[in-house]
Amino acid sequence: MTARARALCLAAVFGCAAAVPATAQENEEVELQVLVHESWFAGYPFLLETARDFEAAHPGVRVRVISSAGAAGSVDKVKFMLAGKLPLDVIWIDVTEFAAFLQEDVLLDLQPWFDADPDWRPADYFAQVLAGMRGADGHLYGLPSTFTPYVMYANLSLLHAEGFARPPPDWTWNDLLRICRAVTRDADGDGRPEQYGISLTQWLQALVPWIWQNGGRLLDEHGRSALAEPAAVEAVDFLAGLLHREKVASDDATFANQLQFGLFQAGRAAFYGPVGYWETYRFQAIEDFEWDVLPLPRNKVAATSMAMRFYCVPRASERPQLAYEFVRALAADSMQRGLAQIGNGVPGLIRAAESEDFLKPVGAPESEQVFLDVLEHARFLPIHVNWREIEQVTKATLEDAILLGRVPAAEACAEAARLTDEILARDTSMRARPAVPAWAFPAAQLSGLAVVLLLVFRGLRRGARPRLAVREERAAWMFLAPWAAGLALFLLGPAAVAALLSFTEWSPVRDLGGARWMGFGQWQRLAEDGTFHDALRVTAVYALAAVPLQTALALGLALLVRRSFRGSGTLRTLFYLPTIVSPVVLGVLWRWLLTEDGGMVNRALAAAGVQGPDWLGAPAWVLPAFVLMGLWTIGAQMLVFLAGLQTVEPSLYEAARVDGASAWARFRHVTLPALGPLLLFNLVVGTIAAFQVFAQPLVMTQGGPGNESRFLALYMWEQGFRFLRMGYASTLAWVLFAVVFALTLVILRSSRRWVHYAGAGR
Amino acid sequence: MKSSRSARLLHGLLLAALGLTFLLPLVWMVATSLQPEGKALGRGLFEFPDGPQWGNYPLAVEQMGSFGRQFFNTALLTVLSIAGQLFCCSLAGYAFARLRFRGRDGLFLLVLATMMLPPQVLAIPQFLLFRQLGLIDTFAPLLLPTVLGGAPFFIFLFRQYFLSLPRELDEAARMDGCGFFGTYWRVALPLAGPVVGSVAIFTFLATWNDFWAPLIYLNSEENQTLTLALASFQQSYRLAVEWLMAGTSLVLAPCVLVYFVFQRVFVRGVRLSAAKG
Repeated sequence: MTARARALCLAAVFGCAAAVPATAQENEEVELQVLVHESWFAGYPFLLETARDFEAAHPGVRVRVISSAGAAGSVDKVKFMLAGKLPLDVIWIDVTEFAAFLQEDVLLDLQPWFDADPDWRPADYFAQVLAGMRGADGHLYGLPSTFTPYVMYANLSLLHAEGFARPPPDWTWNDLLRICRAVTRDADGDGRPEQYGISLTQWLQALVPWIWQNGGRLLDEHGRSALAEPAAVEAVDFLAGLLHREKVASDDATFANQLQFGLFQAGRAAFYGPVGYWETYRFQAIEDFEWDVLPLPRNKVAATSMAMRFYCVPRASERPQLAYEFVRALAADSMQRGLAQIGNGVPGLIRAAESEDFLKPVGAPESEQVFLDVLEHARFLPIHVNWREIEQVTKATLEDAILLGRVPAAEACAEAARLTDEILARDTSMRARPAVPAWAFPAAQLSGLAVVLLLVFRGLRRGARPRLAVREERAAWMFLAPWAAGLALFLLGPAAVAALLSFTEWSPVRDLGGARWMGFGQWQRLAEDGTFHDALRVTAVYALAAVPLQTALALGLALLVRRSFRGSGTLRTLFYLPTIVSPVVLGVLWRWLLTEDGGMVNRALAAAGVQGPDWLGAPAWVLPAFVLMGLWTIGAQMLVFLAGLQTVEPSLYEAARVDGASAWARFRHVTLPALGPLLLFNLVVGTIAAFQVFAQPLVMTQGGPGNESRFLALYMWEQGFRFLRMGYASTLAWVLFAVVFALTLVILRSSRRWVHYAGAGR
Repeated sequence: MKSSRSARLLHGLLLAALGLTFLLPLVWMVATSLQPEGKALGRGLFEFPDGPQWGNYPLAVEQMGSFGRQFFNTALLTVLSIAGQLFCCSLAGYAFARLRFRGRDGLFLLVLATMMLPPQVLAIPQFLLFRQLGLIDTFAPLLLPTVLGGAPFFIFLFRQYFLSLPRELDEAARMDGCGFFGTYWRVALPLAGPVVGSVAIFTFLATWNDFWAPLIYLNSEENQTLTLALASFQQSYRLAVEWLMAGTSLVLAPCVLVYFVFQRVFVRGVRLSAAKG
């Protein structure tokens, strides 16, 4: 075999291995593609059982349960599968996403199937729950998996010890305040009570009940935000008061802390909430005290909000009848009772919820009945609005008032209302924009190919050359072919498409025909988008702090281990080790290390007599926390410096020493100049990396508190894949590129003054 | 250099402390993975009143779903990436270093420029492209862009290295009747061991730990990778930190192993490329 043939074989083998779809299966029988529940989930056996029963009742049908174990949340995964046009027949979605899916017209209206089904009796299910799955026209789009109203968890032992009985079901805000004042203890007077009245949850579903109880609302009758109305402001102010004026509430129940051993579990808070049924699982581990659930305290009226996931059918399903029947099967007795038994949530099927499968006679909480009792005044958030972005903006804005107490409630509410209205108005106006012509995107993609072909032709055309040179040139192009193909297909083409997208708006769950032409709208929006400004600031501040510190530390470590001594190899390994950890793992790990109570960093600080801060919860500390994490992963930079140090001529040091130069002078005038090019390299690479931080904030803080850790790359991801705004996401991506490019240029320019290349040996 | 014994001792202590600081979080991770469910956060680092819970590891594996499959996928992706990157990048690097063709310097500038394109700019259009090609939920989107066009840094490393080899070697090979490819394959590539080593390790770490691309492109259970499985852990509220850390340790172990085994090659490769950068 000639060498060239061998090369072709290699390329072919590799190409095939890459292109073979990992899921290729042909099947004669009808297959129902089902994506509900995660496979690690305890109720999975019930799901498989339901699928098998369904197959038995429908010969020739195979139910393929697609497991979402491993995807970052099965709800996000549904989006990607829809975006990838993969066949799906039954999915489940979160009620907060229902409106977005409705708006993009990707769900099948199941009402005709319900109407045609003689066995369908809506009265079997809770009417309040079904309301969450109805479109604006009242049509039903799905059936519930499990749901939960928000309630209050109470530490009965603590209440009893403080002389309080279990609060009655109709307890009020005043009762809550009175008890909280009485039980909050700060014996050492350090402003951080040992025992709190309430550990207060603060995401939107948890905040809304307070607003509703005070007679407030989220949207007014014209569909505009009503957050600035006095009733809503008062409610927000009440919560801010609990935290900052009365100082009886703890803010430990933020997203960053959600999974950890919280104050309530530690027996240090009388109440915890508003929160759903799911916490009963985590609290099973509590052995030291007695706890139970209560309705939320009421004010002007009683109210609470609900969380739910429900089963539904994508419009693209090719077997809607079977899909409908499987949805019915999923929401029928055996599955609903199974989910109730394992404590997944409240079943939407009334007879399952009222059976002992849910109202368990033994074990805490004693009063599961509370979840059913509060249903009469439970509501979902308004469902005819794409809530994801509004939820994030509202949460980030209200945190200024509630969590951080740095802005008056009225001001934060007004700001949240303004931003909500902006989002609503943008959604409305977007739908009136013209469609992007169908040829535009393929044309942009092909332009990359055109550029590369042009380059090749230009290279090949000019002048006659000797035969040998022609052969060499042809060989060169063969050698470069894989790279050039990649350049054309995967770099230049996509870059052109991204540029085009930034002038459009488009939701990734639809095809490109749904793209709307926005002109310079997206670019103008950059000027007004406060979240973008925050993200830019956060990212820039991080880069400004982290890059120099990382470079300095890397240099310091390299100097320490530059010489070979016993253990120097081990040390180099140790310093490098954290670098091989993936950003996701790093995020997971540091989220626990930085836990306010019981995290290792704060324990170490406590041992040194310093009270550690709430790293991920306090706006002033969250960026320093990320910088600290960044310092831990400087192994690569250290290695680069180390390599550079070993090329420094020993004779230079010798000469300097003979001249009587001090250690510092030797470093300043010999080492540093020799490292110049490497310093530059590390600065550029470090800056690029700093602007691309993404996985750690996603895993650790989701951008909070406020927007204080909303890095640019994270915000871009949220716009594109959470809020389904790919056009604006592309605009943000180009901004990111422009910033990094400009910074690199600045660093390179300025480096001419301080980097000197030794000799001309290039 | 003369330094007193106590100064050296101080130096040693300082180094040991620093090394431990860098190691401690990993130690904490392993120690936590051995605590019983729900107990780790209330305890000290090495308090094991109930003995180490090795059972957390099988439990974590069970929770991650089909661990074997995920491990296989991750390993397969890693091997294919390494093989592909080594071949394509060394080939291009060799052409830039050794072959004369018109437009060479301009093209090489283009290589350097693509280093600066942040992956975020390309993620969305690449997703659209692969969707159009019907390659969503295959390994192609994870391999093709990085292997073919996405490794300018490695092309750069190879070029610099090949430039440093004496030209006489090529000429001798040519005399012996080797073609251009034969010269590259039989003479130049075998001499590029250090760069091959560091490119392989860089690629190994990058692919093994990749989160973004698998998250976007892989859907089916049979295509899941380890980092994805780990991320799903994080999303579940029914989660014990002890299991999470057990899972994390498992995913990390191969990286640590590979680094330890190939450390010398790796450091040498970085040194060589940096010296010539």
